Amino acid sequence: MRARGAVSAALASAGILLAGWQAGTQVAEIRSSAEATSAGTATGGTGTSGAGGSTSGSSGTSGAAGSAGAGSASATTYDGAAVATRFGSVQVQITVKAGVITEVTALQLTDEDRKSVQISNRAAPLLRSEVLAAQSAKVKSISGATVTSNAYLTSLQAAIDAANL
Amino acid sequence: MPRTFEKSPAGTRQPLKARTFHRMGTAISLTVPPDAAAGGNGTEDGLAAATAVVERLFSELDQRFSLYRPESEASALARGELSLRDASPVMRERYAEAHEWRLRTEGAFTPERPDAVLDLSGLIKAYAVQESGTSLRALGLQDWCLNAGGDILVSGSPGPGTSVPWDLGIVDPADRGALLAGYPLGGSGGYPVCGRRRHAALATSGSAERGDHIWRQARDAPAFVQVSVAAADIITADVLATAIVAGGMPMLDRATDGWDVAVLAVCSDGALLGTPDFRG
Repeated sequence: MRARGAVSAALASAGILLAGWQAGTQVAEIRSSAEATSAGTATGGTGTSGAGGSTSGSSGTSGAAGSAGAGSASATTYDGAAVATRFGSVQVQITVKAGVITEVTALQLTDEDRKSVQISNRAAPLLRSEVLAAQSAKVKSISGATVTSNAYLTSLQAAIDAANL
Repeated sequence: MPRTFEKSPAGTRQPLKARTFHRMGTAISLTVPPDAAAGGNGTEDGLAAATAVVERLFSELDQRFSLYRPESEASALARGELSLRDASPVMRERYAEAHEWRLRTEGAFTPERPDAVLDLSGLIKAYAVQESGTSLRALGLQDWCLNAGGDILVSGSPGPGTSVPWDLGIVDPADRGALLAGYPLGGSGGYPVCGRRRHAALATSGSAERGDHIWRQARDAPAFVQVSVAAADIITADVLATAIVAGGMPMLDRATDGWDVAVLAVCSDGALLGTPDFRG
């Protein structure tokens, strides 16, 4: 489920990137961000920002690894600009070899852990005993429906603030 | 005036320091670790200065957006003496943001009351928290927890230099002196290579208490009496919590499908619905 979401988001983003590539409008932007990336991560920079999405991302970076010293046949990676979507930012990296895109890799997918495309993030019934417990001695602050100033004075939050010296 | 408390908790390894003031009809507290070595924000003076910055920000926004102040710009808008076209840029920006959220939540969140008066108060508190967070970071403060009437934004960790999260509690709507659940915020610096990033914000909306900015879409009984949402930012958390209370189950599913959020909802019969992050 997760991989499918990652792939579809990557393809959507790649579409945006490629459209820009073909129109020639985004090439400068792509190149400049690629330079910035390579400066930060040395040659063949792997998308460390990809983090959680690395399952699908790892193959792309291997293509980039050969770029260090190889000539015209070597692969070069370019990072697309991060694109804001309803689910968060999406950023892809393309690997170009001899003028042909050989690899499309997701660097960034809807923040870090793609919960937004997981159906499993839906809310399900929980018993009170199953809920993440609040260890009252460790609680640093309290969230509740808005309390008025008057209600605050009798609330748990006031006690915690008081305890926090 | 910010008030400080003198009592020390028993058995706490590292007592935090908190300052509280009252604005926008609620209490706002800023909590920081006491460790002065970690950027100096744990010193009394540092905390007092930081609180003053936050308090000034809340005051400025309250003066402009409060419908309880006859002289505010929001009141002038509500009376029809001022049109949005002639309103201040900050008013128009917040109005635009509210309408953006109305579209994104398919109407579950709305900046207008049934009597057509523009009411941005639900959004302004969260906006004030967000802006305060920006200011605190600009001051170089790394580790803090800001709570404005249950809307919580954190940065860093209560243990400076560690990845310990801010452990937060969620009030039980059936017994407001008790906690229903816990939730950890912050604590991990940004994007760890492995594992998931923790949320930085937690907001709770209720239909029972002071729900004056929540206007339910349907006339039937509320599906949820209280909804807590954890998100990366406080405006998303606050707006979605409000929207889910107003929009019920369909909005709950839209929120968990469309945003990186954790949700704990209390149904009117006391039953709980929670996303996996809320499972203990």
